[in-house]
Amino acid sequence: MVAQGKIVWISGPAVKADGMADAKMYETVSVGDSKLIGEVIRLTGDVAFIQVYESTSGLKPGEPVVGTGDPLSVFLGPGIIGQIYDGIQRPLKDLAAKSGSFIGRGITTTPVDMTKEYHFNPTVAVGDEVEAGNIIGTVPESSLIEHKILVPPDHQGGKITKIVSEGDYNLDTEIATVEKDGQTSTLMMWHKWPVRQPRPYLKRYDPTVPLLTGQRVIDTFFPLAKGGTGSIPGAFGTGKTVTLHQIAKWADSQVVVYIGCGERGNEMTEVLVEFPELKDPRTGKPLMDRTVLVANTSNMPVAAREASIYTGVTIAEYYRDMGYDVVLVADSTSRWAEALREMSGRLEEMPAEEGYPSYLASRLAEFYERAGRVQARGSPERDGSVSLVGAVSPSGGDFTEPVTTHTMRFIKTFWALDASLAYSRHYPSINWMNSYSGYLADIAKWWSENISKDWLDIRSQTYGILQREDTLKEIVKLLGPEALPDEEKLILEVARMIKIGILQQNSFDDVDTYCSPEKQFKLMKLQVDFYNKGQQALKDGASLADIRSMNVISLLLKARMDVKDDEMPKLDKIETDMIEQFNSVTGVKVQN
Amino acid sequence: MSSNSGLESTIDQVLERNSSEFSQSLKNSLTDAQKTLSDSLPMLEEEYEKIIADGKKEADKIEKQIIGSADLQSRNKTLLIVQESTDKVLEKAKEKISNMDRNSEYSSLISKLLTEATSALNTSDVIVFTNSKDKDVVQSAVSNISGAELSNDTIDCMGGVKVTSKDGSMSFDNTIDARIELLKPLIRKDIAAQFNLGNN
Amino acid sequence: MSNQGGVQYSKIAEIKGPLVIVDGVDNAAFDELVEIETTEGERRLGKVLEVGNGKAVVQVFEGTTGLSVSGTNAKFVGKVMEMPVSEQVLGRVFDGLGRAKDGLPEPVADSFLDINGAPMNPEQREYPKDFIQTGVSVIDGMLTLVRGQKLPIFSGSGMSHNILAAQIARQAAIIGTDDSFAVVFAAIGVQYSEAEYFKRSLEESGALKRSVLFLNLADDPAIERIITPRVALTVAEYLAYDLGMHVLVILTDMTNYAEALREISAAREEVPGRKGYPGYLYTDLSTIYERAGRLKGKKGSVTQVPILTMPSDDITHPIPDLTGYITEGQLVLGRDLFRQGVYPPINILMSLSRIMKDGIGEGSTRADHQEISNQNYDAYSRAQEVRALAGIVGKAGLTPVDLNYMNFGDEFEKKFLTQAIDENRTIEETLGLQWNCVSKLPKNELTKVKDKYVDQYYKE
Repeated sequence: MVAQGKIVWISGPAVKADGMADAKMYETVSVGDSKLIGEVIRLTGDVAFIQVYESTSGLKPGEPVVGTGDPLSVFLGPGIIGQIYDGIQRPLKDLAAKSGSFIGRGITTTPVDMTKEYHFNPTVAVGDEVEAGNIIGTVPESSLIEHKILVPPDHQGGKITKIVSEGDYNLDTEIATVEKDGQTSTLMMWHKWPVRQPRPYLKRYDPTVPLLTGQRVIDTFFPLAKGGTGSIPGAFGTGKTVTLHQIAKWADSQVVVYIGCGERGNEMTEVLVEFPELKDPRTGKPLMDRTVLVANTSNMPVAAREASIYTGVTIAEYYRDMGYDVVLVADSTSRWAEALREMSGRLEEMPAEEGYPSYLASRLAEFYERAGRVQARGSPERDGSVSLVGAVSPSGGDFTEPVTTHTMRFIKTFWALDASLAYSRHYPSINWMNSYSGYLADIAKWWSENISKDWLDIRSQTYGILQREDTLKEIVKLLGPEALPDEEKLILEVARMIKIGILQQNSFDDVDTYCSPEKQFKLMKLQVDFYNKGQQALKDGASLADIRSMNVISLLLKARMDVKDDEMPKLDKIETDMIEQFNSVTGVKVQN
Repeated sequence: MSSNSGLESTIDQVLERNSSEFSQSLKNSLTDAQKTLSDSLPMLEEEYEKIIADGKKEADKIEKQIIGSADLQSRNKTLLIVQESTDKVLEKAKEKISNMDRNSEYSSLISKLLTEATSALNTSDVIVFTNSKDKDVVQSAVSNISGAELSNDTIDCMGGVKVTSKDGSMSFDNTIDARIELLKPLIRKDIAAQFNLGNN
Repeated sequence: MSNQGGVQYSKIAEIKGPLVIVDGVDNAAFDELVEIETTEGERRLGKVLEVGNGKAVVQVFEGTTGLSVSGTNAKFVGKVMEMPVSEQVLGRVFDGLGRAKDGLPEPVADSFLDINGAPMNPEQREYPKDFIQTGVSVIDGMLTLVRGQKLPIFSGSGMSHNILAAQIARQAAIIGTDDSFAVVFAAIGVQYSEAEYFKRSLEESGALKRSVLFLNLADDPAIERIITPRVALTVAEYLAYDLGMHVLVILTDMTNYAEALREISAAREEVPGRKGYPGYLYTDLSTIYERAGRLKGKKGSVTQVPILTMPSDDITHPIPDLTGYITEGQLVLGRDLFRQGVYPPINILMSLSRIMKDGIGEGSTRADHQEISNQNYDAYSRAQEVRALAGIVGKAGLTPVDLNYMNFGDEFEKKFLTQAIDENRTIEETLGLQWNCVSKLPKNELTKVKDKYVDQYYKE
């Protein structure tokens, strides 16, 4: 029995309808004569509060509201990769085909082309027992993704009584039938899942594998683990979007879900133009072949912005369940929180800080809790992960505002963007004093096993130099640099070199845009060696001026752009030069 | 809107009859406009000569300015003429409508206007107003609607009705005057199109 | 919406601030246009903000002064607010609600467009990449404006933002084409003299005939300001996407717009966000700023230069802050430079053009453009540090290289940044001046430019 009510009140995206006693919470409803899409978000008596995902301009009290019986769900099956969706999984291409350059209203579409044929390869046979989460076959989805066809998580399982043979089938095809206790059910290559409900998994692992992004300040200093959570807050103009794009481009995951939540339209266009041209550094295939975009730009209806985050994370969990590592980038969670605030205000709920609803913190917690590295349900046994990276746009760049402070409680890596670094064109403008990562200890083992056993030690030494510099800067401000002894001046010098040679990274430079872990370590080691040799040289009587005039410095600073990932011997050459030049500065002094 | 198509055909008739008159006045005004433009040319040359010594840049600027404003002036003149013509056509149309025969076609128009009004108000418990000339026609239409009453007071209009709910909280103006007002932008577009002046 | 509109209601429950609450309404739509008739027969326009349970909350654009609970009628027109558009709007002056204000008849409309527009489908956008030469060196050289971009000017009260905007409007051109810009100018609560300056500036350059002006002046109704940018952008979109023109939209001053929005929010007793501005200020502003861009398969473009004055020159104030999150960069005017008499007083370090990289370089401006611009940024940032240091230790305590940077800073501000308000520099001139500036530095300081460009352009 679906609910059939009438609109009694309208204010922007919020609509009240009566006669809705049969409606369920979070049920999708059709609103008004133009059949706008909405979702029930509160029920009081027979009055339903509905958030409408399209503009309500022109809607009148008295128009009908009809329930669908289903909660807001996403379609999960082949054809998702490479798509650009709006907040409720409507392909923007299809919307354009139906309403042109501007988005019309009341348009229904299917999330993927149901008539397209996919090459299905069964991995189970008649007679096999299957349960929820089992893989029953595979489908090549893109040049990078083999799509695993899963028994839906809410399926009761049973014995396969029929399965199609290898071949090309469209998505309307029933590919298998399953029998349990005399009941027969059919399986398709797809299923639906309610967006607000996390998909189940078997067990959760500790995050011990780093998510490598090729960004030095992230991988080396403030790493994220696969299945981890990170947040990137920054005032406007601090390069937040460029940093997020870099993560989406270079992260070593198999699938990337990029959610443009209440952000600029042209930024989504940029991704659409750029990603098909860019090659994945590990496979050489177009990046778009592993990417799904969810775009609900700032001028699109605000309620769909709220849904876009859930749409995205549910798609991410689905690919996790196939055994893939997935990165989800949400730009920006602040706009999502504002959508919550707007709906809450229209419903006249009691506000907490800055007008945000009191459940802001719990919603953020629920979202970030959907990250994790897990063993998926069903056989064959497989592990996958969802890593969540959320941008925060604090008003006025103030990190004490509610969205930033609540987010900090639920994430473990915090990349604090700094406007003053951005003004001096230090990019990425991640402040190395205010940022932190809770995964450092967990992933150190990976670096030690795969790159160098000295990794943690060298990293600590490098970070130590930056910390010393931070303290010394205060003295310099008061007394000028000449007040410091030479060994402390050397700290300032090396800190400057680390900033230019390691922390800064030019995302528009062909070489520098991505840095392999090997190169990251070697660059860092060279700087630490330089520092240690420099201190020794000072003790041996060399002058600071001599050290400053060594031409190896400019080689060190430019190595990030001059040395490609596959040219590591060039860095060894720099090391030899460095040793020679230090020998010569101390040697000269000894001769005197 | 069937009640509108009646009006439109009336206006079309009026238009046809008077179009030669308007064409003439338009022709005159176009000549005027062209004259403004050509008058400004010698002025421009004069200015140009005078200023050329002060530097070509300045002269270019003034040239642009004069040409620009002459263009605009002549265009604006045309706009005014189109407006004048439109007003004349509308006046004629209105005159014709107010003097229209109160025949059966007219009474069915009144009925339509009345039904539209009551359905918009969502009640037939209404008081109906009209002008003195239409009282009889309206009275017979009103008598078909239960709850509706014709007011003794008359209103000043060309025709049609104005309907008010009995508690006075709602009213709906469905006089021909109001309808023409609503249609005016479309009528203007049509008239301008007839003179090929919709855009220039 | 059907023609069901037209019903006039006379039961006014309440008038508060800019809002009229009409009772007994059972036939009104959200967002519907409303005609309010006063006891004296004066007509004002408004729109429905909320409707239901027999009540409609109507926001009156022209204010509620003089309205009374008895004798006021509200007619629900049966459609949303529309702007009549046709090519005839060019060369015309309208008021803040889009009604003719120049003594001429209303333009004969080709169509009537919903002033709220509709969101552009991001998939249908064409990425902006055509360089606009504004003739203003600091913009063309370092903060390039691109066709379809939204690049606001963040200013402070009394600074020269309007002069700069007018100069951009007069001079903007696409090099290598005859395309000239149509200018849509929306004055939002600015003084008569400022609007007049702009109009005269367009007139003098002969650009008035391809301009459309919307004027809501300081003494015009404040709530009308909610509408002014929307009617202006509706016309701009029509000119761009229906008539294929390249349109430059100047909106000044968006601060007044946001204040009008705050006034309505306060009257509705909404829970405020920061500094009393409504929580939806970001979303609301985006429905204005995002109406810039280019579309696949359409010839025209809408480029926006909104102007806002930062209260107390505070860039973290909600209005500039939220604007900066939406727009593709910002041109920030500096009080210090302005006081020193520098025009245009753009503080380059705080300014940014996000899509500059896509609009410049070989085939568009010149291959060395990005690099020479980076070098100037770097050097100017360094020059500022040296100046600060010189303030402590004195010029005598500076190294020779530091002194080079001081010289660079002076050259940069006096020769490159500074220019006359009617000076239209070509991109070649601009790039030349940038090289003049960095030529004040020793060659080995030029770390951001490739050696081949140094060899080609550096002036010994």
